[in-house]
Amino acid sequence: MVSGVNMAVNLGGIAMRNPLNTASGTFGNGVQFEGFYDVGATLGAITCKGVAAEPWVGNPAPRLTELPGAIMNSVGLQNPGVQGFVDTYGAYLAGLRAKGCQVICQVAGHSIEEYVRATELFEELAPFASGFEINISCPNIAKGGAAMGATPASAAEVMAAVRPLTTRPVIVKMAPHDVAEIGRALEAAGADALSLINTIPGMAIDVRTRRSRVARPTAGVSGPAIHAIAVRMVWECAQAVSIPLCGIGGVASGMDAAEMILAGATAVSIGTANLYDPTCAPRILSELTAWAESQGVSDINELIGAFEC
Amino acid sequence: METTNTALWPFEVVSNEPVAQDIWRLVLQSGVAAQIAPGQFMNLQVPGDGSHILRIPLSFASAHGPSGTVEIIYAVVGEGTRRLSQMAAGSTSTLVGPCGHGWRLPAQEGRSLLVAGGVGLPPIVAAARMLAAQSLGFDVVVGAQTAYRHVESQIDLLRGMTACDLCDCGRRVLVTTDDGSLGIQGFTTEAMAQLLAERGYAQVYTCGPNVMMAGVARLAADAGIACQASLERMMGCGFGACSCCNVPLVRGGYALCCQDGPVFDAQEVAW
Repeated sequence: MVSGVNMAVNLGGIAMRNPLNTASGTFGNGVQFEGFYDVGATLGAITCKGVAAEPWVGNPAPRLTELPGAIMNSVGLQNPGVQGFVDTYGAYLAGLRAKGCQVICQVAGHSIEEYVRATELFEELAPFASGFEINISCPNIAKGGAAMGATPASAAEVMAAVRPLTTRPVIVKMAPHDVAEIGRALEAAGADALSLINTIPGMAIDVRTRRSRVARPTAGVSGPAIHAIAVRMVWECAQAVSIPLCGIGGVASGMDAAEMILAGATAVSIGTANLYDPTCAPRILSELTAWAESQGVSDINELIGAFEC
Repeated sequence: METTNTALWPFEVVSNEPVAQDIWRLVLQSGVAAQIAPGQFMNLQVPGDGSHILRIPLSFASAHGPSGTVEIIYAVVGEGTRRLSQMAAGSTSTLVGPCGHGWRLPAQEGRSLLVAGGVGLPPIVAAARMLAAQSLGFDVVVGAQTAYRHVESQIDLLRGMTACDLCDCGRRVLVTTDDGSLGIQGFTTEAMAQLLAERGYAQVYTCGPNVMMAGVARLAADAGIACQASLERMMGCGFGACSCCNVPLVRGGYALCCQDGPVFDAQEVAW
């Protein structure tokens, strides 16, 4: 894109050509979007679907329901394990890197040992990874996941265990609560960046059958309806830490992305909007660029945290 | 890893009319018509309501590439399809397609048996067109709750398709209704069992309610006949990005309805 504004940002050591990233679990592993636009030539980065050391089958059906301005999912991190992921997507993802799009591999686990094992396997098998995102906030798995990210101490413990295993940048995907306190603990434990928020745990009950509308009692809410909550949490976290943030939550337009940047995000991930509006990323990038120009800056970095209160 | 030709297409509504209680026929104009194969589906966006964000996944009964028209028969079951039924001729939106994997031709030579229930009929009509285009023989069982003009017209259409070239026995179309207002009163599986007792088949195709397809799959398995089933699921994206439309498999784990289906080998599905 030809623009007078520098759009390049640096997310904790991951140099992105522009601030746009994708939220894990809403973008497949990129290739699913190649029929819609040239992923490698467009995005600053993609964040792949969460992968564990060994394959996970994920949760039973139904995994999805629709809510006003939102969806609620309970996928439970179905994934083929690191080896299966690399075998299937490695060549494609290396191609994205060659086109200048960074590739962030998301690490899933049920325990410290599983996060460590998955990170070790990624280190060994995924030379295409620009960095890692440690998911300590999935609300849809029975143990680990959100439980690991529930307190500053448990979150920091995961980060501290993973830190010595790689010299590549490590981002931590945070749960939507206590983001200032947990963010500080993760920074102290060596995180290079933080991404927030993961989906917000919710419930939807079919009152006729008295059962959950998905297979588990609770699931993760995402989409435009949660955007304002996500912006608030990015702003709270940005006040508490000095490492860069990736803002996630209901971003569906350039203005939504601009709000995240003003609240303190260095990068912005598009999530649920990818599902219902699969060509939204190029549009959002163009809207964001136009906004930056309209703000009279020469560099988008001047607008990070430029919210005035 | 498969590459995809799933893309975003503009569409324009040519006509959109009820053909029975809560059953509508939509004809749209879109470039996807030249790309989509029988049994694949498309994911339509109904504009104008920010509170319902997901697209509506729909199969199609016929597509004509040269004229760019696609015929869709859909049931109004919720707010999304209710709003779809309000899209007037001339209104425009976008669709994602073609999505998923469609019907496959029979792996073995011989007659096919097509079993449709309710709004599973349009994809079965698409399968019939596919077989007729190859001059392959088939019989059809059509199940409905009750007789109505559209289902009768589709049955006439099926009866009118080219005759079986493989044998001289003629094509058969059996109809079942819950209330006996058309054809035989009873279930499609009863009519299917009757045909299986009378004739040999190389392939079964089925689309309809899950419980019906499970019964069809069981009868086909008992008779040692390959069976393809087109499944329906709530979908987030329609092209393999979100993993929300999981289908349990006999071997364990899940497939994705949008990406691995919607047409599955029925014996691989844990019904």
